[in-house]
Amino acid sequence: MNPVVSLVAFLAVSITTAVIGFYGLRISRTTGDFYVASRTVPPWWNASAIGGEYLSAASFLGVAGLILLSGTDALWFPVGYTAGYLMLLLFVAAPLRRSGAYTIPDFTQARLDSALVRRVTSLVVVAVGWLYIVPQLHGAALTIRITTGLPSWVGSTAVVVVVCLTVVAGGMRSITFVQAFQYWLKLTALAVPVVFVLLVLAGNGSAPQAPLTVNPTSQAAAGAYQHISLLVALLFGTLGLPHVLVRFYTNPDGQSARRTTLIVLGLLSVFYLFPTLSGALGRMYAPELAQSGQADALVLLLPGRLIGGTAGDVLSALVVAGAFAAFLSTTSGLVVSLSGVISQDLFGGSVKGFRLAAVLAAVVPLGFAFMTDSLALAGSVGLVFAFTASTICPVLLLGIWWRGLTDAGAIAGMLTGALLCGGAMVAGTVMGGGSAPAWLAQPAAWTVPAAFAVTVAVSVMTKGRVPSSVDRIMSRLHVPERPVVTER
Amino acid sequence: MTRVRVTAPRQSAPLAPGRVTSPREIAEDSDSGRLFVRSLIRSQLRLALVVACGFLVILAVFALILVYGPGVAETRIAGVPLDWLALGVGVYPVIGLSAWLYNRAAARNEARYRDLVEDK
Repeated sequence: MNPVVSLVAFLAVSITTAVIGFYGLRISRTTGDFYVASRTVPPWWNASAIGGEYLSAASFLGVAGLILLSGTDALWFPVGYTAGYLMLLLFVAAPLRRSGAYTIPDFTQARLDSALVRRVTSLVVVAVGWLYIVPQLHGAALTIRITTGLPSWVGSTAVVVVVCLTVVAGGMRSITFVQAFQYWLKLTALAVPVVFVLLVLAGNGSAPQAPLTVNPTSQAAAGAYQHISLLVALLFGTLGLPHVLVRFYTNPDGQSARRTTLIVLGLLSVFYLFPTLSGALGRMYAPELAQSGQADALVLLLPGRLIGGTAGDVLSALVVAGAFAAFLSTTSGLVVSLSGVISQDLFGGSVKGFRLAAVLAAVVPLGFAFMTDSLALAGSVGLVFAFTASTICPVLLLGIWWRGLTDAGAIAGMLTGALLCGGAMVAGTVMGGGSAPAWLAQPAAWTVPAAFAVTVAVSVMTKGRVPSSVDRIMSRLHVPERPVVTER
Repeated sequence: MTRVRVTAPRQSAPLAPGRVTSPREIAEDSDSGRLFVRSLIRSQLRLALVVACGFLVILAVFALILVYGPGVAETRIAGVPLDWLALGVGVYPVIGLSAWLYNRAAARNEARYRDLVEDK
């Protein structure tokens, strides 16, 4: 692949991101602008922005790579990523918007009337965010290494620098525009090359090198436990992701939060057709990528392999641009929501504190990324979902739907989930990816129920601690707003 | 677009515009108001659980048919194996349809609540 073309693609995406960010600077002035774009983002914009933010390195590169390796077993990943939004719609979207809180710690503090719950939630949110940024940076490192031959650290450092610049410059108002633009860029960058490859293959009638149904490596098929555990993680992890939740505060009201989620489901369903097609094409026409351990780079290498020439270069550049859009958008979304949390808890919620927190939120995971090696991208993001599902999800779901939740129950549940799931992740990593037993490699199926059980049990034991404001808060969460006659 | 100015973003943010005569006050002020809110929450929770369980059951049936269905492994439609089509394409309309049905029903629950409160 032509390294100059890839570099140009990367620079183009970064500059576009920065330009939209600086444009946003002119119109965002108050602290409220910085945090949640003044809550005036219409559903289509917001849905594109959520799609842009959500479709990370795991979706853009990882899903196709995993499909190349393990076929139909991997098809459950995009299904879970999408169905997670269904759960978010059913249980969280409208009440969370109505809560009037900016971040998850704000929500738990308001709901449970406890500053300690707020601090524990903040810690968990920061842990989730950092864990989720690391695979994005690994993806950037991989992309730069494969497409330009530059050392890995260039990719991850470049992403962190661009993200810091945009977030510090414009906050979330500009981030909304950046994210919405990046969803459409990502879709184009995956769809156009795949369609071209299909046309070329149909035109020259070349026969597949390998059948679709046979795994290119000797990877064992996943059992029922792995499938169930993965689905638990993805279904319940999505509704606790801090960067996704913060987006719901930018809807004008609860009803539009639901409409936004419906549009997001449509956008995700369309998007995931293309990594699936890429993965299928890879199994038939480029199985050697799996044998050489380059599965995650499949999407990047496919156009060059199957088309070649100038057309191949141009299409590769498009894919590289899309990949960087994925790393930049997810990382900046996470950095915005993390810096919201960090700045409110450490720096008193000022704009200057927000900027300082943004740099902190981006630089720490960069250190992690340098120290660790990239696993399969979709797999490592799957583990972050498991962690979120075992920590934030129980508190959020029970807080919205169950009057009996207490601060003690919430803290006990979050700590249990964090210890069990975090412990399983560490143990699994120490034992090495392939050799860890299934219950350690995919812990969600037992850590999520355990966290729920502890939250409920401790809440029942500390019944006296149910806050007196519970009636007021519950009606705020669920009572519909007056229909807005003006606007919209 | 209107802009909402936020001066102290500690933990609570301004409510949506148009929420001046808040139904919340009605909800807090009287026993019957509280009862309406409780029944609204219960009906929304029931709806969410029904849709979630329905979707998961469909997904489980899907998975079981793909694994145990006689002849499924060999079935191909236009050259593509059935399990690839089902998981790669077929699940998504089911997700979208569940979401659409839920949105309609949830809005209906809220409209019913509004009618109750306004009748009072």
